Amino acid sequence: PSFVPNIVENHRPFLILSFDYNYAKEKFNLDDEGYVIRSDISRFSKIDIDRPTIASVLSRCTLIRSAIELWGAGPSFDTCVDHARQLSSGFGGKMILDNCMKLSSSWKITIHTLGTKFNRDEQNDMRMKFAFLNLPGKVQMVNPTNEFLLIREVELDAKGTPLVRERDNLSPPLAVFFGRVLGGIRDWRGSGRLEQFSLKKRSYLGPTSMDAELSLIMTNLGLVGNGSFCFDPFVGTGSILLTCGLRGGYCVGTDIDIRILRGRSDDENVLTNFKQYKLNIPDLIRSDNALYHRHYRMDKPIYDAIVTDPPYGIRAGARKSGTKEERVRAIPEDRRYDHIAQTKVYPVSDVMGDLLDVSARTLVMGGRLVYIIPSMRDFDVDKDLPNHECLEIVHICYQPLQIELGRRVVVMQKVKEYDPSMKERYLSSVWVNGPESAEKCANIRERLIEAAKLKPGYEEKAAYRKKRRQQTREEKKKQRTKQA
Amino acid sequence: MRLLTHNYLQSTVKGTEKGYPLKIEATKIEYEESPFDAEFLRSLIPKIDYSTLLFGIQQISEKLEDSNDIQEGISIPNLPESIENDDLQEDLLKKLHTVLFDIHVIEGDLVCPDTGRRFNIKKGIPNMILHADEI
Repeated sequence: PSFVPNIVENHRPFLILSFDYNYAKEKFNLDDEGYVIRSDISRFSKIDIDRPTIASVLSRCTLIRSAIELWGAGPSFDTCVDHARQLSSGFGGKMILDNCMKLSSSWKITIHTLGTKFNRDEQNDMRMKFAFLNLPGKVQMVNPTNEFLLIREVELDAKGTPLVRERDNLSPPLAVFFGRVLGGIRDWRGSGRLEQFSLKKRSYLGPTSMDAELSLIMTNLGLVGNGSFCFDPFVGTGSILLTCGLRGGYCVGTDIDIRILRGRSDDENVLTNFKQYKLNIPDLIRSDNALYHRHYRMDKPIYDAIVTDPPYGIRAGARKSGTKEERVRAIPEDRRYDHIAQTKVYPVSDVMGDLLDVSARTLVMGGRLVYIIPSMRDFDVDKDLPNHECLEIVHICYQPLQIELGRRVVVMQKVKEYDPSMKERYLSSVWVNGPESAEKCANIRERLIEAAKLKPGYEEKAAYRKKRRQQTREEKKKQRTKQA
Repeated sequence: MRLLTHNYLQSTVKGTEKGYPLKIEATKIEYEESPFDAEFLRSLIPKIDYSTLLFGIQQISEKLEDSNDIQEGISIPNLPESIENDDLQEDLLKKLHTVLFDIHVIEGDLVCPDTGRRFNIKKGIPNMILHADEI
């Protein structure tokens, strides 16, 4: 038999991957749920504790929905059933069934049909086709000992939506799979699943908080694990840093904005987010990434992963130290201690250049930088992404958001040691197309507004929203005067 | 702020000759135990400056004696004058873990040893931002 991890992604196609059994048995400890699955008893007399169990691997994955031990597969229901029938009657199959049923007291069959609705009777008909298995024990819908999955895979269009024709003219499936679920089904909803990390449950949130699923994906792409030294130079509300902490990393976050670092109160700040999930609190520092080398000693590379969402001026403006005025005025000595330093606009081209340079210098060899970059349709992945001699792009993942707008998760790995004497050269070669490439993401907000203005009904919507904002302001004012 | 973070912080205000390591004038220190990971510590120790760590410990232990704000039960373990990165025994690692991770300076100032410039620490967060005339 082979293993089929089944992947469900929110806005992306539904994928089914399969692995050869021998590969899986080599990589994973198949001592699953208290008994050993084996095709040959003598070879598995000793349980290997060093290899991860499927459940432990799945607990690290964000996008994988489940892994199943495949019992039957075919281009139609009937071929799938026949395949399963053959398998279960063969020697290996009987062994699997015996092992499987030994401890079994309950079971259920779950049906996944993408984009096609089948009513109760139809679903039961599908289940009945597998009656020949003679599964002992009773059917139990909640937490059965064994769960079987019947998947009806369909064709998807370019956007990942299932191609469904008229109900009477049902499109044939691409394939049908049947198997036993390993390591437990992982769902977005339900206790103990990913939903516990949802932003809806977070104690401290802001407009720039990254949604948990994307954040977990970025953390995985950064190869963050137990003992990883993680850094987020634009930590904000700490939503990305939190997932690094959840994966066992030691976390450090910096930001130039002291208000967002301190949070709203003692009960609502970055640290309370960490405490909410019983994690060690991160170290936070108010510093300027444009001046990283001024704040921090950099004689040795220290970070294993830098995972961040840099400010592009869309939801939060980017600032750096310094004054926009030509002449720098000295601060009087008696005011110096409490003085709130001025900051000035930090162009996106420099945000990215500095980020890459700091990463190249402070990451250990093989360490990863993972960042998000918004991009409109005219974004050229080969020319508009920033580069650095010491870093190599290893992954670019694209998530479409709207027709015109999407975002990319870019993963870079340190492949070359940093030479401090070459800093000027590194920084001058960040953009293949010059800073105009950076401006493509810097101007996204304006461009989106321009595009929205061209849509019909914009005037009415804008006027309506303006009225609502005024109403809310007046209400708040009334409440305040009432309290006073 | 943990002593691990203090290990990397410096002052490079314009005109400073040597702004490292920063002195610590703590007014509030907290202690919070955290899980010990020997593997992680072994890979971390070569990345820090050990003499700065000893200096940091010395800075806060002075305040621990004077200050009224500290909690009961914080005792700083004795550490050797120097260590060999390749031969770190578990009990030494445990002591290093305590000083690097479990002691937090919540309120106070970091002070430049050269110019005396103060960087405030509030709610555990040091403020390292330079003023426009210091860049």
